Amino acid sequence: MARSRFSRMADRGLIALTELAEYTGALGNPALRLGVTGLSRSGKTVFITALVHNLLHGGKLPLFDPFAERRITRAYLEPQPDDDVPRFSYEEHVEALLGPDRHWPNSTRRMSQLRLTIEYQPRSVLARKLGRNRLHIDIVDYPGEWLLDLPLMNMPYETWSSAMIKASHATGANTHGAWHEILQQADPLGPENETAAVRASEAFKQYLLACREDQIAMSFLPPGRFLMPGDLEGSPLLTFSPLNTPPNGGTPPKRSQWAMMARRYDAYVRNVVRPFYRDHFARLDRQIVLVDALAALNAGAAAVTDLGRALTDVLGSFRHGKGNPLTGIFGRRIDRIMIAATKADLLHHTSHDQLEAIAALLVEQSITRASFQGSEVDVTALAAIRATREADILEGGDKLPCIVGVPQAGEYLGHDRFDGLREAAIFPGDLPEDPNAALAGAAEGQVRFVRFRPPQLESGRWDLGASFPHIRLDRTLNFLLSDFLE
Amino acid sequence: MFEAPPPPPPSPPGTEEEQPALRHLAGRRRGWRWGAIFWSALSGLLLMAFSYWAYSFVETLFAREDWLGWTALGLAFLAGIAAVAIVIREIWGLSRLEQIGTVRALAERTLRSDKQEDATETLRGLKALYGHRVDMARAIENLSYSQSEIIDPADRVRLAERALMTELDRDAAGLIARSSRRVSILTALTPAAALDVVFVAAQNLVMLRGLATLYGSRPHLLGTIRLAKMVLTHLAVTGSIAFSDTLLQHVIGRGLAGRLSARVGEGAVNGIMTARIGLTAIDVVRPLPFETLKRPRLSAIAGRIGDTVKDEED
Repeated sequence: MARSRFSRMADRGLIALTELAEYTGALGNPALRLGVTGLSRSGKTVFITALVHNLLHGGKLPLFDPFAERRITRAYLEPQPDDDVPRFSYEEHVEALLGPDRHWPNSTRRMSQLRLTIEYQPRSVLARKLGRNRLHIDIVDYPGEWLLDLPLMNMPYETWSSAMIKASHATGANTHGAWHEILQQADPLGPENETAAVRASEAFKQYLLACREDQIAMSFLPPGRFLMPGDLEGSPLLTFSPLNTPPNGGTPPKRSQWAMMARRYDAYVRNVVRPFYRDHFARLDRQIVLVDALAALNAGAAAVTDLGRALTDVLGSFRHGKGNPLTGIFGRRIDRIMIAATKADLLHHTSHDQLEAIAALLVEQSITRASFQGSEVDVTALAAIRATREADILEGGDKLPCIVGVPQAGEYLGHDRFDGLREAAIFPGDLPEDPNAALAGAAEGQVRFVRFRPPQLESGRWDLGASFPHIRLDRTLNFLLSDFLE
Repeated sequence: MFEAPPPPPPSPPGTEEEQPALRHLAGRRRGWRWGAIFWSALSGLLLMAFSYWAYSFVETLFAREDWLGWTALGLAFLAGIAAVAIVIREIWGLSRLEQIGTVRALAERTLRSDKQEDATETLRGLKALYGHRVDMARAIENLSYSQSEIIDPADRVRLAERALMTELDRDAAGLIARSSRRVSILTALTPAAALDVVFVAAQNLVMLRGLATLYGSRPHLLGTIRLAKMVLTHLAVTGSIAFSDTLLQHVIGRGLAGRLSARVGEGAVNGIMTARIGLTAIDVVRPLPFETLKRPRLSAIAGRIGDTVKDEED
């Protein structure tokens, strides 16, 4: 794998040069790159929107220290610094959330970026004298599917191919049937055949889509561009698929079907995955990992295991550890990671501790690794935008801790169908005390999980503040940002 | 055949060892103390002697003139009521001091255990301490706004600290700085060495009482004595650390001031000592530990004293 090592070194070199250029360019007022990491549907877009909106509009963030100390004088959106990445369409998302037909933003289909600038009063006199009073925060939003590509960087075609095929056997025949048929007919050692390659990759793509439809096997979904091609729709980079390993094991002949697939896989990794990693993930300072543990718990033990594995694989690609001011010029490390179990507003707050414990257990391996490398890790149950409030309902003398909100139109609970206008109080159920039991599937069907509409912001109500209500967004921001605002 | 006895019920899961609430009031002993018995017995005896004497005195006055007797009786009655009031006030002052200790122990436990009940209890204690104070009304109101949110118990206490203690800490630092400045000047100006011992002691007691009142307990005589004892004990425990922290400033400060005049040098030393006693007293009378807010630093206060001393000499 000499070539792969070389490309890795070339990557590091490129990253270091970019870093150096940026460092000299922004002397005094550095930019903080916040990595919002999460698989698809984990709430990245909502988190970014809520973060920005709360800072711009002075939301209620009593636990965000610089904010509580009134040291933040102003926050605003800066023009997009990188000309080749589209801007995060913040206004559009806010409009979606607050507009007359308020709804959650649509799923992200392409890369976008945002620069938020915070002006603040530094605590130390020296920093104030040096005029160090601005912090740029760069945030990137991207389709969560693409994140699953990161483990591919350290995986040759053979390994990937056999892992994909092995994993596909675990799914039902009506999911993988069509693709397996083509797979069996394919002749890996035969001469290159473009038509067969196109047909196979199309069938493979359909298989992946079917997997996602059934909510199974997240960690076996790579490559992500098959699901969310972005601007690569129909590109030759996407016409490859796994092949059965040739029986003799040795190097397949040149110009064979196998060699062509391997070449295309390598090209995909080289031209799509590596730049994606290099441009957006290699230079992060802080990371928040959004985990939608509730959906997985609802779906059962297999989904939970799978979510844990996918996250662990993905987190393995990041550079964690304590930063060092000298080497920091050439390559940053992520020194603080927040593991956030999202959509905590779908549970009563008495279950939040359990949710946290479950999220921590899911990515336990990554947490251990990152803390060993010197990063600080914290776990929290988070709702970037809180769509519900809490209430107790008396039922037969028992007090049931319920959540109240407006369920989305078309959601069901029992025989009840919601119209999207009516408020409903729902007893969401309790999570098991023991997180191990939860991972083993004890929570399957225990938590009733209804999707709510975003909250309605009425300026007349003091308890909603000037921005979105949230659960522990301020604590999260404090952990991730406060020491940059000292 | 006999049936196997049912398995014993599973032993309850090891109840989390409930650590005894940290007595931040170090040096308190429990149980019989001969000294206490001696003093109680002696004061009981004196009280009896005094009331016997008063009784017979009033009786004698009645024997001589009726109106003299009535006047004496009225005065005795008034004195009795006042004595009872003083006793009640002292007990109340002591219990306030105790209450602050309890709230603090609770807050420390909440920060460790992150339990909801502890947080609720801590906040109830804080409201009892500050609820009726006009100057704290806004802070209390701010605090109750955020209590409707979902916040972790430990964060709840941190939030309370920020809401309630910010102003108090600032006032306390000012109070300490004023006291140490006064001590410095008094030491520098008093002619006799014996006199400044009295001045410094009195000024320190006034400062302790001021600090305690600021943070919500209102000690009177006994309370102040108890407080002084607690502060001294605390100082003895943490003193060595605090000392090494500021040894350098201490020596340099004294050296420079001492060059100007021996009295001024002594004044500076006494001022720094007063400041240190004040900072220790904050630890004792503050109902919440320093968690989110920064502890007032001796260097900041010492710096201010230095300025003033120079001003006075100009």
